[in-house]
Formats: sequence, structure tokens, C-alpha cells
Amino acid sequence: MNQPVAITGLGCISGLGCGVANNWTAVAAGNSGINPLSGFAETDLKVASGAQVPDYLPETHFKPNQLGLLDRHSQFALIAALEAVEDAGLTSPELTTSAAIIGTGCGGKETDELTYQKLYRDQKNRVHPFTIPRGMPSAASSQVSMELGIQGPCFTLSSACASSNHAVIQAVLMIRAGIVDVALAGGADAPFTYGLLKSWEALRVLSPDTCRPFSEDRKGLVLGEGAGMVVLESMAHARRRGARIHALISGIGMSADASHITDPSSEGAARAMRAALQDASLAPQDISYINAHGTGTRQNDPSETAAIRQVFGNHADNLRVSSSKSMHGHALGAAGAMELVITVRSLQEGLIPPTANFTAAGEGCDLDYVANKSVELNYQAALSNSFAFGGLNAVLAVKRAP
Amino acid sequence: MKQAIEQTLKESIARQKMLAVEDISLDSSLEELEISSLDAISLVFDIEDQYGVEVPNDELKKLRTVGDIVDGVHQLLGART
Repeated sequence: MNQPVAITGLGCISGLGCGVANNWTAVAAGNSGINPLSGFAETDLKVASGAQVPDYLPETHFKPNQLGLLDRHSQFALIAALEAVEDAGLTSPELTTSAAIIGTGCGGKETDELTYQKLYRDQKNRVHPFTIPRGMPSAASSQVSMELGIQGPCFTLSSACASSNHAVIQAVLMIRAGIVDVALAGGADAPFTYGLLKSWEALRVLSPDTCRPFSEDRKGLVLGEGAGMVVLESMAHARRRGARIHALISGIGMSADASHITDPSSEGAARAMRAALQDASLAPQDISYINAHGTGTRQNDPSETAAIRQVFGNHADNLRVSSSKSMHGHALGAAGAMELVITVRSLQEGLIPPTANFTAAGEGCDLDYVANKSVELNYQAALSNSFAFGGLNAVLAVKRAP
Repeated sequence: MKQAIEQTLKESIARQKMLAVEDISLDSSLEELEISSLDAISLVFDIEDQYGVEVPNDELKKLRTVGDIVDGVHQLLGART
């Protein structure tokens, strides 16, 4: 059996608000953070909704001299990272030797787009000197490392919508390998830019109103933004310093579909879930809850349902499966980490968060999706799924703290 | 003109380094104001934008004090007219 890794700190900012407490309160109540899109009234965009961080003012979180170098996604990464580290009660000597692994699907697109607007649209002939350091895909990792004094392995990892699950897995593997005792891991994305919204529109996967995962009348995904972060520690380290252990990452599973750039394969998803169970030495019957990838697209939801049936057989009918993307939207490279935070809180509270906006089960969607209302359930173990475009799959097995 | 450049620069430095404008003098060295090379590039960029000049890379390396930047930009403007 592979050594479990302790989760000792949580941080989150999303369309549901700033902070883990606000996010969990909203999710537990089934309140969706999906709202009419703001900030794009003067454009020709068709997309009308999004899960944007409500009332977000960068100036309330950062000093003016910091903001010049902080792309929106780096701001979110820092906010969630600081919360997670504070929650873990880590001090600077412990942080010095830690790792920070941060996933992102888009990186500094806000910075890049503002730059290209100036050059191509406004016909300016020069751009701001901070453009590269602010917009580089690894900017958030560097900012987090500098702010927290993290001096161990630190890098950005990108696998589209599975980025933050892959980041958490990378951190778990480093701790297991003894490379570090402590790692900050998660993801951040800020996809509400004109160019990105146009690009998502072109793919015809965006819902015109809200996100209804697994429902018959689902019309696609709704984008979200923000960041999720966790502090991970070896069990020995967490115990030695008397840290409060929120939950355990007991297994990790990864796979690639090797089939299509956008269409998911249930076989690929099933292999990742099986790998996570095997790595955790868990039997299918040990799992009570799956935080689904659950994007609300025509393709994902029946494919993910079929994958769950392949892995869990008859036990699939006993599982609770919900998609919190119905509430915080699809925050791309940040989604997996937000969902991990929610899964950990669910295990702690003995409450399964619902799939919000659910109407009636769609074709090929025949599991218990915890429609619209959370369910009380004391349970031991959950999976959290992330299945990215391009068939890159990453699954986390999460267990209750001992 | 020189005074206007000085004022613009001091305001930019004050904003970037969270200082009071009065704490910055022409003799202040960039080093003592903790202005890194990236900060300096950014400060020069603000002035370049405002006055429509471009400080060559070779000149940028020679800047040691606030006064050096003011003089340099002033000279560039003079050369243009």
C-alpha cells in the first residue's frame, strides 16, 4: 500500500466567493455562483453567463505596486495559497524547504490579450515591460514562491481541465518519494477575456444560460474562474508538528485516452479511476461519493457515467455522484483543486454536496446525482475526477482523516 | 520641461515603491530606492510613453540616479526639437 499524504491546509476563491468557508456554505446549500456575465456588455459575445468571482476588487487584496506584475490568475493563486498556508499553520522555516506545484489551463492570457489589443487593435508600437513576467504561464508559481518564501521544487503544470489534479498528484509523488515533506498544490485560472470567450464560443460547448450536469436539457458548460490550493504533508511531518489533518490523499490515478482531442473516452476515464483505487488499496465498495468531472456538456456526462459503471459495477447504484461545476462553473485548470477542497469539506462534514440546476436525468445518465439538495452521509472515502480535453485524466482518492 | 519630467518620474517612483514624493530627490540613487533593473525599465517606459521618446538600451545601463533619468529624457527631447 502506498503511503497516504495528509491534507493540512485548504484555500479557495471562485464564483462562489472568497475563502473556503464561503465556498463550502454555498455548495452545501446548493447555491450556484453562475450569473449573467459582467464586463462584456459592449462586445458581440453570445455567451451570457459565467461564474465570476463576485465583487472582486484586486486593490483590496494587493498593494498597488504588486498589481503591476500580477495577472488575474496569479492574483487568485496567491489569495488561495495564502489561505491554505494560514489554515495549515505553517511557519516560514517549514515553507522554505517546501514545494509549490500549480496547475493552470490558460496561464496569463489576460496579460497577453491586453498586450495584443494594444498592438493589433490600438496600433500602439510598444508594450509594457512587465508583459513577459506578468503573462508567462509559470507566473503564478513564481509569485507564490516569492510571497511565501517557498524555496524547494516549484513549477507550473498544464493539462487543460485536469491541471490542478495533476499538480496535486505531482506534489503527492514528491512527498512519497521523500523529495519534500510539505507541498502547496492546486491550480488557478482566469478565463474571462474577450479572446478566450470567443474561442470557447467557437467550440460550441458553452451553455447559453446555466450549467445542468447530467440533466436531459443540459446545454453545455459555464466557465468559472478562481483558484483552489491545498497544503499536503507527509503523515510523519504532519504528526510531528501536531498539524490538524483535514483528510488524506490515499491514492492517485492518471491515464490518457489517446483517442480524440475533445471527445472523451469512458475507457480512459475508467482506467484513471481504477488506477486511483488500486494506488489507494481501496475496493470499489469503499467509495461512497464521487465528485464528478461533470461539465454539463453533451459528451462528458454520459461518458463519465459509463466510466463509473465500468469501474464500480453494481456498486455504482449505491454511489452518490455530484458535479460542483453546477455551482462554481468550470474553472478549467483550477477546477480540480476547487473540487478537492469541496470533497475534503464534504468528508469532514458528512454532507454530500448536490448537483445544482438539475432537472431530469439525461440519456445515458442513470446514477444518483444528488439532485439540487445536499445529503447527509457519514462516509470514509471519495474520488474526485478531472478529465481534460485531449484525453488527459487525473483522479484523486480522498479518505477521511484517521 | 525638466521640472515636469522630474515630477512625472518622482510620482512614478513613489507609486511603484510605495514612497512619498518628498522622499525622492534628484540625487537619490536607484540602488538606495531599491529600484531593480526591471523597475527602472518600467519607470522609463512610463516616461517614454508620456513624452514620446525612446531611451536606447545603452543609455539605460548608465542610469544611476533619479537625476540621470531626468537629464537623459530631457536630452532626448532636446535632440528631437
